[in-house]
Amino acid sequence: MKYNLWFGVYDGKEVKLSENFEESFLKAENPSPLPFNVSELGMQVLGESYYRILRKTALQVSEKQVERELKREDRYVVALVKALEEIDEAINMLNEKLEDIKAVKESDITESFESKIRELRELRKEVEREIEDVMKKIAPNMTELVGAKIAAKILERAGSMEKLVRLPASKVQVIGAEKSLYKAFARMRKGKKAKIPKHGIIFLHPFIRTLPKTKRGKMARFLAAKLAIAAKIDYFRGEVDENLYESIRRRYEELRRK
Amino acid sequence: MKELMRNVYLKDGTLVTKSKYGSHYGEKVFDGFREWIPWRSKLAAMILKGHRLKLKGDEKVLYLGAASGTTVSHLADIVDEGVIYAVEYAAKPFEKLLELARERDNIIPLLFDASKPWKYSGIVEKVDLIYQDIAQKNQIEILESNAEFFLEKGGEIVIMVKARSVDSTAEPEEVFESVLRKMGERFKIVNHGSLMPYHKDHIFVHAYKSE
Repeated sequence: MKYNLWFGVYDGKEVKLSENFEESFLKAENPSPLPFNVSELGMQVLGESYYRILRKTALQVSEKQVERELKREDRYVVALVKALEEIDEAINMLNEKLEDIKAVKESDITESFESKIRELRELRKEVEREIEDVMKKIAPNMTELVGAKIAAKILERAGSMEKLVRLPASKVQVIGAEKSLYKAFARMRKGKKAKIPKHGIIFLHPFIRTLPKTKRGKMARFLAAKLAIAAKIDYFRGEVDENLYESIRRRYEELRRK
Repeated sequence: MKELMRNVYLKDGTLVTKSKYGSHYGEKVFDGFREWIPWRSKLAAMILKGHRLKLKGDEKVLYLGAASGTTVSHLADIVDEGVIYAVEYAAKPFEKLLELARERDNIIPLLFDASKPWKYSGIVEKVDLIYQDIAQKNQIEILESNAEFFLEKGGEIVIMVKARSVDSTAEPEEVFESVLRKMGERFKIVNHGSLMPYHKDHIFVHAYKSE
């Protein structure tokens, strides 16, 4: 049995001390609980300064991690969401072609098509999971409000967290419905009657989707306002504000009852 | 001035911890004490609601969901001769936690996902207390797996449960009942209670590992 510890590898008899504590700190994974106490073993090897070295290593590793995560993670999500859309398109296209082929002739090649499509669906799931993981980290409040999927799509449209926090709630409300929004603006300029969209991506949220049409605008406005606040908390403070979700749930129930 | 717990006092009606450090989250500091705001910290609320923990000051603590370190800072005042392993997964509040960890020598900051304890199994030692405040649906599973990795027999657990994050549609009472039932299967429950008026729809549960 081999145990990965933050200061080295232990084989049950001897400790092979790590040459780089920061590296071994991040590799200190073990599939099941250790049958010994890591600090007792560590003190045999590192002596009195065990906690001092552990703390120093943890601080150094953490500082680097934080810097890396805060800088790049939002761009990573943006790239992932774009990739996800491409994968969806590829799946749809392959499916269509498969149907076309099938309609003409049953052949071995249809099997290859099907397995490729299955693979793509697996990949799709993987990308979705990754998006969810990262969103929980960089935008916990937005994720709590609308779920990782919607939050990530909004972030993708905005381009980055920095740009997103500068958007007013009214923009967040219609993000994803630009085409109909500008069409409406164009009609208004000409003095014609225009339908301004009530919601863009946030329409995907069950609190909006499940309301009767006449109430969706109200809910969308409310949700977008809270979402804009959530984005700002995520970006500047990062802590979860427990009242946000509660407030949209209450508003939803209010609207549903009326 | 009344001593409620080790290094925890009630000073003219205000909860404080004895501390030689400065303010961390905007709390007041006066001659060797830091104000402990119950609206900001659920542990403070629990103590004001009358439930105390027996801590000697040299405990090893695993803190899951450390956030920006509001409660951690006071716990570090209490276990001033112990060690707190503070786990937090979100990078933003972790920055603030790091500031705290740089100043105190009894806090080990860990930027890890608490639902994957195996990832830090070669870092965290066997602990005397697991404190958990993570508003997540599967928080009891997260507690169980961490207890399996790091908590020894007789080790204590304090968790804060928020009804809305376990199940946002059910009544808080039902959620709490099911949480207590679930916890009771694995641990011995010492006490539990609400955190009103400081935190709405929250309860604390204090338990220990018996087997």
